[in-house]
Amino acid sequence: MKRWLNLAKLPFMKPTVGATPADVVHRENKWQLLHYRPRPQGVAFKTPLLLVPSLINRHYVLDLMPGKSFTEYLVAQGHDVFTIDWGTPGPEDRFLTFDEITDGYLGRAIRIAGRAAPQKKPHVLGYCLGGTLAAIHAAAHPDSMASLTALAAPVRFGDEGLLAAWTRTKTFDVEMLVSAMGNVPWQLMQSAFHLLRPTLNLSKAVHLLDRAWDDNFLDGFLALETWGNDNVSFPGAAYQRYVEELYRGDAFARGTFTLSGSLARPQAITCPTLAVTFEHDNIVPAASAKALLELAGAEDKQNIHLPGGHVGAVVSKAAAKGLWPQLSAYWGARDGAVQKSGARQARPAEAAKVRRKSG
Amino acid sequence: MNPWETWKKGFDAWENATAQYMEQFLKSESVLTPSGALLTAAMKTKAQMDKAAAQWWGLWGLPTKRDQERLLHTVNQLQSKLLDLEEKLEAAQSKE
Repeated sequence: MKRWLNLAKLPFMKPTVGATPADVVHRENKWQLLHYRPRPQGVAFKTPLLLVPSLINRHYVLDLMPGKSFTEYLVAQGHDVFTIDWGTPGPEDRFLTFDEITDGYLGRAIRIAGRAAPQKKPHVLGYCLGGTLAAIHAAAHPDSMASLTALAAPVRFGDEGLLAAWTRTKTFDVEMLVSAMGNVPWQLMQSAFHLLRPTLNLSKAVHLLDRAWDDNFLDGFLALETWGNDNVSFPGAAYQRYVEELYRGDAFARGTFTLSGSLARPQAITCPTLAVTFEHDNIVPAASAKALLELAGAEDKQNIHLPGGHVGAVVSKAAAKGLWPQLSAYWGARDGAVQKSGARQARPAEAAKVRRKSG
Repeated sequence: MNPWETWKKGFDAWENATAQYMEQFLKSESVLTPSGALLTAAMKTKAQMDKAAAQWWGLWGLPTKRDQERLLHTVNQLQSKLLDLEEKLEAAQSKE
C-alpha cells in the first residue's frame, strides 16, 4: 500500500538539494565561488579544499541532500571546503574560451580558496570534466595546488566508448554546431548520455517500482533525478576546443595541449596526485581516468579503484562508507591537522545535525 | 522466490543484454556517420537562416544578436581583467 501511496505522491515531491550552508565569496561572469561554513568546533585541517564540478552539471551533485552529501561529510570532518558553481551560461558565453575557464576562472578560484592556507595552495578535487580542467591547470601551473584529485575525470580520450566514437565521427562538424547554436544545448548532450544506456530509464522505472515503499531510497532517487535533469549548456568556443583538441586530438595526453599560450604537459604535474576510477563507469572509462597517473610527473601518485558507476559511486551509501573517508584521509595525510583532537569520524547522519546547527 | 523477484531477475538480465547490444549498434559507423551528417546538415541550415536574418537586420543599421553577444562577452572579459589587476595590486601591496 505504501509503495502505491509514495508513487502517487512522487510528482508533487520536491527534494532539498545543495543545502549545506555556504557563503558566496566571489562572483565573476556567471560563476561563483561558494565557501561552506565550517562546523561549529572549527576546521581541523590547515589546507582548504576546492571542489571543481563538471561544466555541464550543477555543482550540488557533491552536496546532494542532507545526510547524503559529500560536502556535508567533509565539513563535518573539519575540512575547509570551497566549491565552484559554474552557473548558467548566457548567449554571450558562446565566445567563452577554454583558456578563460581553465586558466582564468579556475585559477582565480584556486587562488581565493588558497588564501587561508599556509602555503597559499588548496587541495583541488575535480569531478568528471572538472577533473580534466583541474589537471590541465595543474599542468600549466604546477605550483598552484597542494594536491590534485581527479574523480572520474577523462584524461586520455582515445578510448572506444560511445562518446569518444561519436565525437570522432567525421560527418559531425563541431564548428558548424557551435556556429549555429552558440552554446551547445544541454538537451543535445543529455540525449548523448542517454544513448550510453538507452534502457536506463526503463530500468530506473522498474527499480523505482520495486523500492517505492522505502522513503529513504525515494528521497535519494528524487534528489539524483532532480540533479540529472538540471543541466547546463556548454559554452560554444570552449566546447569546440574540448572536442577538437582533447577528444579528437588527445592533445593533453600527447603533451601538445596549450593553456593561454603555454604548454600544459601532464608530466609537469608535480603535486600529490590521486585518480579515482570506477569499474562500471560508462561515461568516463577507468582507463581514460587512470591515464593521469601514468602521465603525471608527481612522485606521490595513487589510484582508488572502486566498483560502481560514474555518479552512483560518488553519491551512494557505499561511497559514504568507503570513498568519502578515503578521500578525507588522503587530504588529512597531506596536511597536518591543527586541531586533531577536534576531528571526528562523523557519519552522514551526524553531519546533518552539524549542518542544522551551523545553519 | 516470489513472482515479482523472478520477473525482476529476468528483466535485469534482459536489460543488461539489450543495453550491451544497443551500445554496439549505436557505436557502429552505420549509425554514427548518418547521424553526424544529419546533425551537420540541420546546423548548416540554421546557420544560413541566422546569417540571412542578421544581414536583413544589418541593412537597417541595427546591431545583430551576434553583435550584442560579442559586446557582452567583451564586458565580461573586461571584468576579469580588472579582477586580475586588483589581484596584482593586492600582491604588490602585501610585498611592500
